[in-house]
Amino acid sequence: MRSKKSLMKGLVVATAAAMVLSGCASGGGSESTADGEPIVVSSVNALSGAGTFPEASEAAQAVFDEYNANGGLNGQPIEYNVFDDKGDPATASQVAREAVENGSVALVGSASAIDCEVNHAFYEDSEILSIQGTGVDPYCFTTPNISPTNTGPYVDTELSLTYGSEVLGLEKICGLLAIAGSTRDAYQGAIDTWSEATGNELVMLDDTLTYETADYTPYVVKIKEAGCDAVYGNMIEPGIVGLLNAAEAQGLDVTFLLLTSGYSEQLAQQVTFTGQGVYTAAEFTPFTDESVSGNEDWAALMDEYGIAKTAFAQGGYLAAMHFIEVLEGIDGDITRESVTEALRGMTTPIESTMTGTPWIFGDGDSHGSNTAGWPVAIMPGETTWSAVADDWIYASGTEQ
Amino acid sequence: MLQGAIAGLAIGGVYAIIAVSMTLMAQLVRVINFSQAAIGMFGAFVSAYLASERVPVPLAIAIGLVVGVAVSVLIGLILARWLPESSISARSAVTVASLLLLVSMSYILFGTRPMNFRAIVSGTAFEVGGVVVSQVTVLMVSLAIVVAAGSQLLLKKTKIGTQLRAISDRPIAAEMLGIPVRMLTLGVWAFSGLVVTVVIMVVAPTQTADAISLSMLVISASAAALLGAFKRLDLALVGGLLLGIIQGAAAQFSALTLIRDWIPLVLIVLFLLWNQRKEVWDEAR
Repeated sequence: MRSKKSLMKGLVVATAAAMVLSGCASGGGSESTADGEPIVVSSVNALSGAGTFPEASEAAQAVFDEYNANGGLNGQPIEYNVFDDKGDPATASQVAREAVENGSVALVGSASAIDCEVNHAFYEDSEILSIQGTGVDPYCFTTPNISPTNTGPYVDTELSLTYGSEVLGLEKICGLLAIAGSTRDAYQGAIDTWSEATGNELVMLDDTLTYETADYTPYVVKIKEAGCDAVYGNMIEPGIVGLLNAAEAQGLDVTFLLLTSGYSEQLAQQVTFTGQGVYTAAEFTPFTDESVSGNEDWAALMDEYGIAKTAFAQGGYLAAMHFIEVLEGIDGDITRESVTEALRGMTTPIESTMTGTPWIFGDGDSHGSNTAGWPVAIMPGETTWSAVADDWIYASGTEQ
Repeated sequence: MLQGAIAGLAIGGVYAIIAVSMTLMAQLVRVINFSQAAIGMFGAFVSAYLASERVPVPLAIAIGLVVGVAVSVLIGLILARWLPESSISARSAVTVASLLLLVSMSYILFGTRPMNFRAIVSGTAFEVGGVVVSQVTVLMVSLAIVVAAGSQLLLKKTKIGTQLRAISDRPIAAEMLGIPVRMLTLGVWAFSGLVVTVVIMVVAPTQTADAISLSMLVISASAAALLGAFKRLDLALVGGLLLGIIQGAAAQFSALTLIRDWIPLVLIVLFLLWNQRKEVWDEAR
């Protein structure tokens, strides 16, 4: 009997420890003046694993905390549940079910490399819509129940390459791609769009990179041997540092054309080598250059909540802001049905000073309203990203 | 391909140093230390963390080195205290546990994202006929040679070396003769902890520095050490450099890129086959 009791005790302790370790705590926020029935919202995020995007849900959380502190929606606070998919499809599928079953009216500010691909069909079956804070995989931009706020890596690829070949006049661009899930075709599609529009081709494309790749030396050597004057790559922050370090060691002094995933203050301060310049097309209004305005409210909120200023934080912030705007236009009860109807029924897009094109959900079978980027770069010898253009550049086919 | 092979020398040097260190430990303190690279990772992470918290860089490096040495000595103490007479496999199994412990400790303390290192050594050292040799390569290869040659000399030519060999051959007899067994044993642990921490600190900034990929350098290093059967330092050195060169060269062929991580395993199998070529069936089993 005694041993049984101590076994139970051990189990309880172990479970409690496991809950603490797995970060079971969710949602909630600062003191809320809204004490009505909460409106439940969730997001599915890559918070641990090889590639992480924690800032989007942090920023959305800050927006909701602020909204609740100001009374919420007529006294109804927004309860935000943040789930971690660990970059693992099985976990992503499981947490999406938890997110839907906890009574969420919508998914807002998710930032994950696999959420859309793994869960889009489930969201369609559950008739729940997602305003993705950072859409990464192609299903974020091609399915009926998901509308991201960001441009996404494919349009961003086109923008970055176009800027490189047309404005910087780079002729020999080599490509390095880390492929997660089924993203290969989407990247190829973007590269093909660039080729058709500009008549350029990549000299070499190596897609054997992974987000776990530690040593970039072999890739750098390959690029050097191919004689390229620029490298286009889709790696995220740690990978970019790895690439630049290897490039410095091997004397690869070229231009780097990257995606928004590398656009952060932290990265600019961290890198010691930038070749002929590290460029990207920022998916949202650049926040590192004082000559560009439009981010003031966002920047103030991020500073207040101590959230790292990254493009992911911009995406999460916008997702939450757009959601609140739609929410406030709803007459009657806030339910999954009424939110879905309101988002699907949108006919006027929401303008923002933080994007080049306005955002809309609407009725379509696919959504990707953000098709603009703002060229920014870390120039040699600098430790910050500065705007290298004074306006947006747009993907081919964008109505302006 | 030549450029790839030369570029591979940097990581080859890392393999070689860890392999030499593992061989030393196998010989002198009877353990295949699987947590070797993890010890270095942990020390290096501590210093990178301190540097990011605005601790002056030289001080952060010094503290990281002390931590690397301390962790290594601690594992040595545990083995010396509780498993002094156990088989080499039992003692080595403990180091698998300490490997996992160090990786998860680094997750808890520093998070799962790769650590940001500022390079201590970076850039190109020299260029010969269009082939670039980086400073890290020069440093790693020379350090590997110095560690291997230095250890060899120490063991063969000095009194401490003789005592160390005595301990590894007949620990009890050595103790009865008044050789400070405990001190010397822990000294070996401290030395190996110091060497790998230095190595990881130099090499980590050249790549994406996450706990797992740094700790798993030990796999390739084991393959290299196996070339010398965990007995010969010179072969461990050659094995490490060779492995780096082969991996670097193989990575230049698209068809081989994805399987370059198999190379250590393939080498281990080939070595075992070669090693047992003269064995008759019954003895080889």
